[in-house]
Amino acid sequence: MKKNWWKILGVLLLLYVLTVGMLIPLKPGIVEVIPGSVRTGDQIDLKVLGYNSFYSLAKKPIRAWLKLDDDRALQASDVKVTSDRQLAIRFDIPDYLPINTKVQDFALVLDSDADGPSILPSAVFVTQDSIDPEMGLQVWKNSPIDQLTSKNILTFPFRNILSETIRNTYFHVSLWLSMMIIFIGSVGTSIGYLRTNNLDFDRKAKALTVAGFLFGLLGLTTGAIWANYTWGQPWSNDVKQITTAIALLIYGAYFILRSAFEDEEQKARISAIYNIFAFVTLIPLLYVIPRMTDSLHPGAGGNPAFGSQDLDSTMRMIFYPAVIGWALIGLWMAQLLYRVDRIRAKLLDLH
Amino acid sequence: MKKAIFSALIFQFCWFHKLFAQTGSPDFMRSVGKIYVVVAVIVTVFIGIVLFLIYLDRRLTKLENQIIEHDQNDN
Amino acid sequence: MGILRETGWLLQKEFLLEWRNKFALSGILLYVFSTIFIVYLAFFNVDPRTWNALFWIIVLFAAVNAAVKSFAQENSQRQLYYYTLVNPIAVILSKILYNIGLLFLISLLTWLGFGFVADNPVKDPGQFVLVIFLGSLGFAIAFTFISAISAKANNNATLMAIMSFPVIIPVLLTLIKLSANALRILQDTDIGTDITVLVSINMMLLGMALLLYPFLWRG
Repeated sequence: MKKNWWKILGVLLLLYVLTVGMLIPLKPGIVEVIPGSVRTGDQIDLKVLGYNSFYSLAKKPIRAWLKLDDDRALQASDVKVTSDRQLAIRFDIPDYLPINTKVQDFALVLDSDADGPSILPSAVFVTQDSIDPEMGLQVWKNSPIDQLTSKNILTFPFRNILSETIRNTYFHVSLWLSMMIIFIGSVGTSIGYLRTNNLDFDRKAKALTVAGFLFGLLGLTTGAIWANYTWGQPWSNDVKQITTAIALLIYGAYFILRSAFEDEEQKARISAIYNIFAFVTLIPLLYVIPRMTDSLHPGAGGNPAFGSQDLDSTMRMIFYPAVIGWALIGLWMAQLLYRVDRIRAKLLDLH
Repeated sequence: MKKAIFSALIFQFCWFHKLFAQTGSPDFMRSVGKIYVVVAVIVTVFIGIVLFLIYLDRRLTKLENQIIEHDQNDN
Repeated sequence: MGILRETGWLLQKEFLLEWRNKFALSGILLYVFSTIFIVYLAFFNVDPRTWNALFWIIVLFAAVNAAVKSFAQENSQRQLYYYTLVNPIAVILSKILYNIGLLFLISLLTWLGFGFVADNPVKDPGQFVLVIFLGSLGFAIAFTFISAISAKANNNATLMAIMSFPVIIPVLLTLIKLSANALRILQDTDIGTDITVLVSINMMLLGMALLLYPFLWRG
């Protein structure tokens, strides 16, 4: 029992991740706004569809803004609650806007004391009939967004395209990181083999590689499922997808290389050398690919992928345990394979 | 054995398909905030772990057969 | 200093061997020209973007074919005895240097041949030559080392290909981007960074090759 504490820890961490990661609700958000485009001078009634929201429970009247930038916003003249998930909001769009673009997108900001604030970026596009920023400044009635209610309950951020699939961070993204940890472990044992010529190290390296390979395959398939329903296609040249695919190619070659040798010593030495050499070439890839896609696809900025800055503190509380938990499970898998291999070697000696 | 697993998988797939069709919505996976995408991901990971178990099982069977062979040679 | 002298001496031996059985080099050249011709017949009208991709694919395959032979002659007993006398680092260094020269020549000839049959879209020849040189550097280092590994597995050509392609991807991606700039397909003011990235990848590959080759040698 004492020896196996890390296996128990891994299982407990994943149990925590599964329960908490599935149970914590998403922050109330806005799914869609109809109509999505209006003209200046209109008095418009926006139909808003919320997510996880309880509009009818609000005690104070719900406030709404169309946000132009950090300083400028237009407050709604009237907000009607239709149901828990539906609102009708009236805005008086002025005849001129204080900007000189033909079409301008506004974010919709809602604030209710039951749900806290929620925002939908680029909710409404306003088309100007005639552009006159000077006139726009005169007729603009600025009402800054202030005194937002703050809610202190545990929630995951709501993102329009991702919505509930943001939970996949714990079951898919963490797999990628743990795969990397496992591969680093395999390179470490390969170095260990070259230093000591102890075949046990080689067996460990191979077992870790098998576990990492499985994680890589799972990462790719789950990633394809997720991307299909959020980014619209199963494969979008994402750094992590490409590094995983190349890592799988490298370790596929590693297994074939191993099968090419009869002699155990030679197999161990040469595959260890290839393992180290090939893994090192993966590192520049993490740097090269983002540069490629940035230069070839200038529209990449609108990509709804999220990096580390999008992980809020609640998500971190689950994401890091998930990485450690998956890595420990991978280690457990590798240890089982390693033990099988060691017994097999013993049996071969007996014959 | 392999055939049995294969046909079981095919059956499973058809069954899932029927289940999806029964919900009536053409976009089952995108309903309820796309939560079924998360379900699909977790199911995939579980299938991966089961595949690992099958792999381990087969290696252990080979070892057991070797031990049996070894014992027979001794006698 | 011993290593440098040994390297020079081994390099001389490489050239001499190559000169003696000319069919190896001419085989590669024939391979390159027939590939170019086939590609041309398949495409006829090659726009610059396709030209760029095809050029590097032709060079990539030619480089693999050229490098796979690096350690082919080293199997005989006589050669093994020969090599116990010198430093392993000198051996790999001389092979790498030889392959850099060979691959640089092959890529230049590919450019010439491809440019001859299917137009020459290169707008900045100086930059393109630099890119080709850096490319042959990267290809030579990675492929020489991988061919040293595959030589241990009886010079298995399939093994050579599957082991080297994933390893060369970072170099290849940077090369395609850099040469796209030389072809003016894409305007990038930040070309210096890409060159630095490529040079540092090459240095890293060289470091790993020199570090690991003695272990491969020991067998």
